[in-house]
Amino acid sequence: MIQKKVCLLGATGVGKTSLVKQFVEGIFSEKYLTSIGVKVDKRIVDLASEQVQLMLWDIEGIDRYCGFQPKYLRGASAYIIVTDQTRSQSLIEGLEIHHQCREVTDVPAILAINKSDLDVAWHWSENELNGYSQEFEKCFTTSAKTGQQVNSMFEFIAELLYY
Amino acid sequence: MQQSLIQALGIIDCSILKRVGKDQFEVLHSNTDWFSELLPESKGKTEFTFSNESAYLQDFLVDAEEFWQIGNAGQIQSGIWSEQTHERVLRLEAIAAVANGERFLVISNLQQEYERQQKTLQVARELLLSNDKILAQHEYVHERLDSLLNETQSLQDMQAPIQQAIDNANFGVMIVDSSLKPVNQNPMAFELFELSPQDASKHPLDIVLTLFEKQFPEFDRVFATASHWNGEIFWHKPPHTSKWLQLAVYPVLDEHKSVKHWLFIVSDITRLKYLLQTNEKLTLYDGITNLPNRQFFWQTLEQKIKANKPLYVLYLDVKHFKRVNELYGHLAGDEILVQIASRLTPLLGQDDLLARVGGDEFAIIFSQAESPSDCKELASRLISSIEIPFFTDNQQKCLVGLNIGAAHFPRDASNAEDLMKFADLAVYEAKKRAKSTIKFYSLELKEASRKRLELEAALREAIENNQFELFLQPMLDLDTGSVIKAEALIRWHLPGGGIACPDDFIPVAEQSGLIVPIGKWVIARACEMLSILQQHHNTLKLSVNLSPRQVSDRYLFDFIQSAVELSEINPNLLELELTEGVLVDNYDKVQLLLDEVRNLGISVSIDDFGTGYSSLSYLKNLPIDHLKIDRSFVQDLDTDENDKAIVLAVIAMAHSLKLGVIAEGVETEQQREFLKLNHCDTAQGYLFSKPIPFDEFCEKLDSKKNTDW
Repeated sequence: MIQKKVCLLGATGVGKTSLVKQFVEGIFSEKYLTSIGVKVDKRIVDLASEQVQLMLWDIEGIDRYCGFQPKYLRGASAYIIVTDQTRSQSLIEGLEIHHQCREVTDVPAILAINKSDLDVAWHWSENELNGYSQEFEKCFTTSAKTGQQVNSMFEFIAELLYY
Repeated sequence: MQQSLIQALGIIDCSILKRVGKDQFEVLHSNTDWFSELLPESKGKTEFTFSNESAYLQDFLVDAEEFWQIGNAGQIQSGIWSEQTHERVLRLEAIAAVANGERFLVISNLQQEYERQQKTLQVARELLLSNDKILAQHEYVHERLDSLLNETQSLQDMQAPIQQAIDNANFGVMIVDSSLKPVNQNPMAFELFELSPQDASKHPLDIVLTLFEKQFPEFDRVFATASHWNGEIFWHKPPHTSKWLQLAVYPVLDEHKSVKHWLFIVSDITRLKYLLQTNEKLTLYDGITNLPNRQFFWQTLEQKIKANKPLYVLYLDVKHFKRVNELYGHLAGDEILVQIASRLTPLLGQDDLLARVGGDEFAIIFSQAESPSDCKELASRLISSIEIPFFTDNQQKCLVGLNIGAAHFPRDASNAEDLMKFADLAVYEAKKRAKSTIKFYSLELKEASRKRLELEAALREAIENNQFELFLQPMLDLDTGSVIKAEALIRWHLPGGGIACPDDFIPVAEQSGLIVPIGKWVIARACEMLSILQQHHNTLKLSVNLSPRQVSDRYLFDFIQSAVELSEINPNLLELELTEGVLVDNYDKVQLLLDEVRNLGISVSIDDFGTGYSSLSYLKNLPIDHLKIDRSFVQDLDTDENDKAIVLAVIAMAHSLKLGVIAEGVETEQQREFLKLNHCDTAQGYLFSKPIPFDEFCEKLDSKKNTDW
């Protein structure tokens, strides 16, 4: 069985840990608990003819308290930039992180617009979002709470990396 | 013995392994409790082979192996990671070390440290998120209202959905006219201050203005200079109500850059402040730089004044910081602030205090100065330390500078509020300079500031009352002697009589932003002139000057395009003149603008060539048509060999780059002869004509039949 490393990156509080928890354990907690450092979780994804084990590197939110560490991307086959659709700044910061990643790797990048269970409270227009999405392999509108598009996002990545 | 000592002390919850081969370790000391959960392959063994079960540790061992192979004494750390074992989540950190020629791997269990850090970071990050949300809301409402207030003639025209959104906003919105009379205050503004919209005796605006004035010395300066302001104000209503409020004040300017409205946005941040107060470090220190914050600074300043010892207050504003944020992002901006703090701190003495008092503002209480020269000396050390380039995490180079304003206690003021107010006024003066500098508060400075404000007001009137005129100065083809082009130069007819030249008012117009409407008028008027000129002289071109501020105006190209279309002129007849400084300071914007104007057919020349900072690479990368040799090289052509050499070099370089050359300031026949002989294409100067009014220019053009001026 092949193993693939996938990093989750993004600003603080966008829901990276919750996305992993939803995908690996199927649970969600309303309480926001900030992460420190890195946590690696694994889950096997069944494809039509094969299995892929995703090793999900949940990396501490990048902000003024924690800088971007390119070393975490070593050996990654893909990365997900997670943003929060209730916070405009999270997309700006996500794009900054994406550009920093692009300086060290050209593996596929996925954009996750998370917290789709909440009302949209950022001010990006459809056009702007479409423009930014062009920089990514694919964009998913996810909810770690309801599970919307969470499995499909990770399954898409598994397929992308396998085939 | 070491192992037994560690066990006896029992203070370090770690496991120590000695590397005996690639992925092979000997256990020197281990905490069996969690170590065997992490590395079950080590259970009951003194030596074991790493089984790659922990992905993070496996990744770290790649770096560790490299480090061990080099073999220099020292250590590297993995950073904290969380490991999910069958029973629990471990919080760990690994260290690879080399000591006495031997290689070690130390894994520490940081459970307690993790919890402690998480507690602090949790508060800090919750604050960060809430603060971000409030600022984003303020910015968004400001942007929407700014464009709306500019579009509509009166607030009655405001679209219903926008009005509804303001009415239902969960923060206070107050729109006031230029004389600070309320025009629109939403229900939340009343609710925040426990007032009723039906009670006309007291408005939320009155309270906000009073608090702002009492608590911030910048109050007068913000309104006098139509500046944007953002900060926190405290409201207390006896006996029990107290609130912390985030206040943003924005001027809404019309097309003449006059204040049309002011926009006040207020949010209740009492809960955030309460959270802050649970952590004293967060209350008095700035979260980014770890320096004392504004509140700490203020308290210390008041204490020092009470002690009655002379001191200087230095207000520091980081130049070009906005550009760093725009170009490299806020994270890089924050990183630069941290680096600035670490460069400034060692330059101060023990009795001095450095604080971060605003976004890109720092302040210093300088207690050791005996004279202004001590203060100047400190300022020059502060400036030098900041002018060394900064590098972001990913090695992008950033250049910033420092504007410093200084006020002295007790000479300039006897209380903290006035001192800060005067230092703020002085730094505002320092900002006017292109280079980093210090300005001391003085009565003259106050007077100069008043005069500048008067000049600004007079310029605003001049725009409204159409007191400007464009004069034209011809440029001649040196081979044929015919006028092929003219430069449009602005003159101001002063209301009391007399004419002001650009040097008298353009600097103030540039600083205040009035250059944008003035520049637009110049472009529009030049296009009108061209539409008249092209009826009889359909190849004569007009050139207009663009200033740095104009180039930063994102609507400049749209305006030029519409002016060309409106006047139905051939765009090939219009030329734009920019100085080298404009190119260097706004390279990306200029490139975009020049590409756009080139597509339209407008030509471009570089003014004052040779006097500014020139990397010259722009000459081949930007769509440029002509170089204008600065008058300072032309004026001594007859006598100065160096000037001759420079002029010849510029002509040769321009021609090999297929650019035209224009010499400015030609005043003598000898200069004309030299330039002609050496194949300079075009000349302009008093030898041919001074700048003259349009009618006179047309008359002269017709009577001279376009030859021999």
